[in-house]
Amino acid sequence: MRHLFLIDEAEHEAGLAPAGDGLYHLLVGGETLAVALDGPRLVTGGRRDAVHVAVEGNVAHIHLDGRAFRVEFREAMARFAKGGAEGGADTLTAPMPGSVVAVNVEAGTSVTAGQIMMVIESMKLETAIKAPRDGVVATAHVAAGKTFNKGAALITLAPLEEA
Amino acid sequence: MRLIHSQIDTTSAEFQANAIHNRNLAETLRERHRKTRFERPQRDLDRLARQHKLSVRERIEALLDPGTPFFELSTLAANQAYGGEVPGAAIVTGIGIVAGQEVVIHADDPSVKGGSWYPLSVKKIVRALDIAIENRLPVVHLCDSAGGFLPLQADLFADKYLAGRIFRNQATLSKLGIPQVAIVLGHCTAGGAYIPALSEYNVIVRGTGAIFLGGPPLVKAATGEVVTVDELGGCDTHTQISGTADYPADTEMHAIAIARDIVGTWKRVEKLKIERIAPEAPLYDPAELYGIIPRDIKVQFDMREVIARLVDGSRFHEYQPAYGTTLVCGFAHLWGMRVGIIGNNGVLFNDSSLKGAHFMQLCDQNRTPILFLQNITGYMVGREYEHRGITKDGAKMIMAVSGLEVPKITVIVNGSFGAGNYGMSGRAFDPRFLFMWPQSQISVMGADQAANVLTELKVKQATRGGGELSAEAIAAIREPILDDYRRQSSALYSTSEMWDDGILDPVDTRNALGVTLSATLNRPIDRPHFGVFRM
Repeated sequence: MRHLFLIDEAEHEAGLAPAGDGLYHLLVGGETLAVALDGPRLVTGGRRDAVHVAVEGNVAHIHLDGRAFRVEFREAMARFAKGGAEGGADTLTAPMPGSVVAVNVEAGTSVTAGQIMMVIESMKLETAIKAPRDGVVATAHVAAGKTFNKGAALITLAPLEEA
Repeated sequence: MRLIHSQIDTTSAEFQANAIHNRNLAETLRERHRKTRFERPQRDLDRLARQHKLSVRERIEALLDPGTPFFELSTLAANQAYGGEVPGAAIVTGIGIVAGQEVVIHADDPSVKGGSWYPLSVKKIVRALDIAIENRLPVVHLCDSAGGFLPLQADLFADKYLAGRIFRNQATLSKLGIPQVAIVLGHCTAGGAYIPALSEYNVIVRGTGAIFLGGPPLVKAATGEVVTVDELGGCDTHTQISGTADYPADTEMHAIAIARDIVGTWKRVEKLKIERIAPEAPLYDPAELYGIIPRDIKVQFDMREVIARLVDGSRFHEYQPAYGTTLVCGFAHLWGMRVGIIGNNGVLFNDSSLKGAHFMQLCDQNRTPILFLQNITGYMVGREYEHRGITKDGAKMIMAVSGLEVPKITVIVNGSFGAGNYGMSGRAFDPRFLFMWPQSQISVMGADQAANVLTELKVKQATRGGGELSAEAIAAIREPILDDYRRQSSALYSTSEMWDDGILDPVDTRNALGVTLSATLNRPIDRPHFGVFRM
């Protein structure tokens, strides 16, 4: 599988195959380019250009040929995932049986992603139920002090309007 | 491996408050370490100066290769014992580099009660030698001990893991072909005399070093013979006449130089070949760990946030990300070495227990050392879970953790309660190393629950003849129980009793894991084989 890079926000697919002696084959589109990194010099074809690279996580800042580029590596696992349940579901359910310690919201409360809406306790452990996205609370299903079973609905957010 | 995307808001009030709390704990820990290492009564320092002896720290410094780290173990051993008067249990142990060799160092500290062995001193030496055996590490002993502390002899002498175990462990090392050198810098009396005698190599300092089963006063009392220390067991006696010692030295520095030369002649063990890549610092700042660990031990946090601040590039391949989600399992690299990580993200349910046992077998099969990150209140209780077999699923985890052949290292990052401690590679399950973070608590159940149970029992006893106790009377019973329970479940108590190998400042954890993981790789890993899993 070729890798996906965002170079200054434009998508590029490329692959790099070792070709021995520190040489690599850069595969872009239908082309194969011989490349190598010789200390601070990038060797492509007959050219040797000074290159400076600073890496931060999945982003590399590259200074080459008098210009700065921002190259972001898109992880294949994230790229092909369909978003899954993360942030998608409107109703938050109990990860384990327990009781409610505190409810910080009620129907109609606006919340921002990450905001603590409820605190539950189970097996002596307090867990914060956080808003998975920005939105408005439709229902707080369980009041403070009440108990619930695993999988019980705790809070439902109003569904997002289709744009 | 994917970059972990941290969800932590480092500007939040919660984060800031946690950070202040945990930084204070780390600062207090550093201060305790300093005092334990360097604060001694003046008369003891004067006595050592009169004897022309170096301090134990100076001796270790001279022994180590310059510029290399010394990874000290159980620095705060005995901090809650013997009225706090025996810092470090009068022993310094650790892992260091001598003449290019990774070695275990055991050093008596003559500035504490003349280097007497207390029960916890013995435990500390035995533990250091266990580490040497389990990880196939050579040993350097720096001997300077007045012998066993007689008033407590019953607690240090006869039982299986007491003083005799030191010598048994030395013999075991020898049998395994792992060399030891002892440097005799003071008196090695009675049992202590066997440490140099059981080392393949030993060096003795003329004038101050001596080895004998009974010192001159004991000899006079036993047989009436009058003899000087030197004649009885000094440097020349043992290197020229008895053959108990090998190399004579003129001064302490001379002896240490000889010992370094000896270590330099040893064959260096080839490290186990595990999957390695070029090391990379975590993307997220490890100092953020201070803000992540909640001030209140009851508050849950995401272990991935901890993993992101320990592992190379903050990259983690999570195994079974959607199943048994209260246990986080996956692969990462630590200083370039591939590890499996098993961390708690809540109570252990049936599915999380099965996932844990399964992942351990996987790591054993593909020869990957495992790092356990504990923050566990226990296994889920209740009818539904018992019917699903929570006990037998927990038993599977224990069977797996006990049967692992790959090295295990455990860090208790917050709570370690009940059977969760077992399934997550607690002390009894022979992790090669086990460390705690300053705020951690460890006990069979939480302090409040235990205090309630114990208070109820006492109240029942008190009211057996009828009558009732006032709320104040009940509180008067409960408070001391709670205090005592809290003290005995603290990290300080654990490390005092050596239920762990030391308390780590969270930001030092990555380095500590690098040193110890590397140390485990001196020993070959046996083929996978386990006991019977109750299915």
